[in-house]
Amino acid sequence: MANHETGGLAPNQDLPLLRIRGLGVRFGTFNAINPLDLDVRDGEFLTILGPSGSGKTTLLRAIAGFQTPSEGGIEFDGRDIAEMPINRRPFNTVFQDYALFPHMTVRENVSFGLRVRGTGRKRLNDRVDSALGIVGLEELGARYPSQLSGGQQQRTALARAMICEPRMILLDEPLAALDAALRRQMQNFLKSVQRQSGITFLFVTHDQSEATTMSDRICVMRSGSIEQIGTPRDLYYRPKSKFVASFFGASNIIEPCEIIDVRNDVTSVRTPVGTFAVAGPAPEGGSGLALAVRPEAFGIGNGKPANQIELTVVSVSFIGSETITELKHRNTSLEFKMKARSDPAAIPPAPGSVLTVGFDPAECALVSGDTG
Amino acid sequence: MKRLRLLDVSLASVSFLVYLALYLPILLVFVLSFFSMRRGRVRWDTFSFEWYARLFSNESLGEALLNSIIVGITAIIAATVIATLAALHVNARPSSRSARMLEYVIFLPFLLPPIITGLSLLIYFREIGVSRGLATIIVGHAVFVLAIIYRIILTRLNSLSRSLVEAAQDLGASRLQTFRFIILPNLRMPLLTAGILAFALSFDETMITLFLAGTDGTLPVRLYAMMRVGFTPEINALITLILGFSIVLTVVFAFAWRRSGGIDNNRITRI
Ligand SMILES: Nc1ncnc2c1ncn2[C@@H]1O[C@H](COP(=O)(O)OP(=O)(O)O)[C@@H](O)[C@H]1O
Ligand SMILES: [Mg+2]
Repeated sequence: MANHETGGLAPNQDLPLLRIRGLGVRFGTFNAINPLDLDVRDGEFLTILGPSGSGKTTLLRAIAGFQTPSEGGIEFDGRDIAEMPINRRPFNTVFQDYALFPHMTVRENVSFGLRVRGTGRKRLNDRVDSALGIVGLEELGARYPSQLSGGQQQRTALARAMICEPRMILLDEPLAALDAALRRQMQNFLKSVQRQSGITFLFVTHDQSEATTMSDRICVMRSGSIEQIGTPRDLYYRPKSKFVASFFGASNIIEPCEIIDVRNDVTSVRTPVGTFAVAGPAPEGGSGLALAVRPEAFGIGNGKPANQIELTVVSVSFIGSETITELKHRNTSLEFKMKARSDPAAIPPAPGSVLTVGFDPAECALVSGDTG
Repeated sequence: MKRLRLLDVSLASVSFLVYLALYLPILLVFVLSFFSMRRGRVRWDTFSFEWYARLFSNESLGEALLNSIIVGITAIIAATVIATLAALHVNARPSSRSARMLEYVIFLPFLLPPIITGLSLLIYFREIGVSRGLATIIVGHAVFVLAIIYRIILTRLNSLSRSLVEAAQDLGASRLQTFRFIILPNLRMPLLTAGILAFALSFDETMITLFLAGTDGTLPVRLYAMMRVGFTPEINALITLILGFSIVLTVVFAFAWRRSGGIDNNRITRI
């Protein structure tokens, strides 16, 4: 089925599997989700990324049917499902706390979806065997959830959600409870299951690196609204707002920023620390702009890129493969961070010394300011 | 070291005395159900089951015991059904107005003095023309034990993670299937607890029953009536039987608790 490269575009671009239009959720007078549109393509791994409290869970619960939306429509595969009862919706959920049934064995848990549909014993057993095989739990079918490790519970929850062969699975921070090493392992595992099964994954996390490594596309949420949707590369290299830029790696933000010229797809901007060239056209609504430059975009001296700033070294920290230099602008006391591959031959600059730091017009982005 | 041992010894003797005070009367009753007594001394050569035989031929006591059991079981079944439905509703919509109403309605008879509950029911039954009998006692007991059953079930329901119900529905279960496959299995222990507790409450409930009993009363009412004419020794046999029954019940309960405990404990710590 759908098999594609990480970062590439999912197939069937013109026919979204899930179509959300003007969906809003209010709790009393509080807008947990401001009316928003979202398309999820068939077979893609789409991650909803945002800080805690930004409405990720609420959005997912509205899609699953646990939360009645205040307004708006949800279509799945061309059918309106906004009013459809939870148990009829053609997709399944992996819960953050796994929600495994404590009085049932792993097998009974996994087979539950088939059992309530009255699937015959033979067919049921075959399907459960194959699901347990996919998640590598063939040996543990007779155990109770309380006898499983966190990762095994996680796999059980996934097998249970996959048993009815849904076209889409919703996952709400499924890895949040696992420790770092297991988390990384489960990320790879989830991704490979998703790729092999071709099931659309709608995944929620607050972890930027998790979203980046797993997703085909990421939808960044902030205060109940969608801030930006795009591939991990899009969001990393072409953030539209200061919020997205700083969420994806610590960006250097230079503001305020004023456009003085646009020519040949290069925009010139004036900032308190100098005038710079930025590749690409100016963004619309050009007020409240800021310039975001990644720490690794900065280079010293050689190559002479178009944009240059003179900065004073504050400190240098060696963290193995990389060296991070903290810098300060003399007049504005704006702070900068530069990250570079560690060079065994280099002599680190002394604090207080002045460096000329350059960056390429293609390696920075004009972003909207605070009220994104 | 020495002071500590002294403390231990005195503690042990105090507990021994307390247990003696608690269990000596019961032991005496037990002994007296098999032996006769003369001039304040047990005659050990008189061992017999005579009092038990007399108890079972004493129709009024036997009938009263049977009534107590019928009333207890019927009232518990009725109350459990109502309490479960009410608890399910309150658990699903805890802040709705109907939920708050239900809580008051269920708890009022439990908090009211039994004399008031009994009297109100008596007046009510008279007004609607229902004559006193087992049925009226059953209603009285059901109302009385409703609150405790309801509370135990609701506590368990509230401790069940909400996402369990959501997960079941998400996997395609109807409301009925969710109840049958997810909720009910997790209510087994609380239902057993509530049933036993409620039966104990019903078994010695006297005040409400006094108002609602017609000619056929429950055991406590019957014993109450016997007090005026004085007890015959078969009362010892009766108490011994009830004691034995309670002990068996406690043991069964403890076993059931331990057997489901393995899973139960983990469940509580996990959720
Ligand atoms: N049932 C509810 N009643 C009132 N407010 C809620 C409810 N559920 C969530 N919220 C609020 O909605 C906002 C978004 O919550 P949530 O969707 O859980 O965020 P996230 O999953 O991104 O951390 C939060 O401010 C939260 O307090
Ligand atoms: Mg959440």
